[in-house]
Amino acid sequence: MLLTPEIVPGLVATGASARVDQQVKPSFSVGDKIRVRNYNPATHTRLPGYLRGKLGVVETDYGVFAFPDTHAHGLGEKPQHCYSVKFTAREVWGETASTRDTLRVDLFDDYMAPE
Amino acid sequence: MNGIHDLGGMHGLGPISPEKNEPVFHEEWEKRAFGLFASTFVFAGYTIDEFRHAIEKLEPAHYLESSYYEHWLHAFEETLSKRGIVTREELDARVAKLKKEDH
Repeated sequence: MLLTPEIVPGLVATGASARVDQQVKPSFSVGDKIRVRNYNPATHTRLPGYLRGKLGVVETDYGVFAFPDTHAHGLGEKPQHCYSVKFTAREVWGETASTRDTLRVDLFDDYMAPE
Repeated sequence: MNGIHDLGGMHGLGPISPEKNEPVFHEEWEKRAFGLFASTFVFAGYTIDEFRHAIEKLEPAHYLESSYYEHWLHAFEETLSKRGIVTREELDARVAKLKKEDH
């Protein structure tokens, strides 16, 4: 397909969103405690390495999106929920980190296990 | 992929110092690189995830030394040559030609 002027406004408006219009059961609810899986694929992932094994709390459920880890390799959309998950700085960086700081990271269903 | 792109938590990389009045593009060619994204995205039919992964696979030292749009150029070369839209030989010939014109 060629990029034509008619396509451009739609592309710009949605930013070519990866949102998938499909009902998929979420594995987690807002408020749930989760532990990030010790997941080390040699392929594409959006999971930052520093979060592996860390404990967090689900803060927002954004809805259903294509899973980048399969989508990057032509292995399909594997649609699933993506969440904003809150971590304390102490949990991520240890005892020298501030007791007040927290961070939120967008994580897919497959990156997490219930705690 | 446990690659060089995943810099979160690394020490020793120095402070982040944003440029004052940073221009949208630092070089003329960056405008063309930006424009290439939408056209090749639609034409070649790659996903943003495939594009990002191509950047992650850059040789680590090169990744750190090259600019944002150089990363994009690398991803264009990877995704387009994978599909046979351009060949490595065509890219090399083009680079050689431009180098000659430069001198």
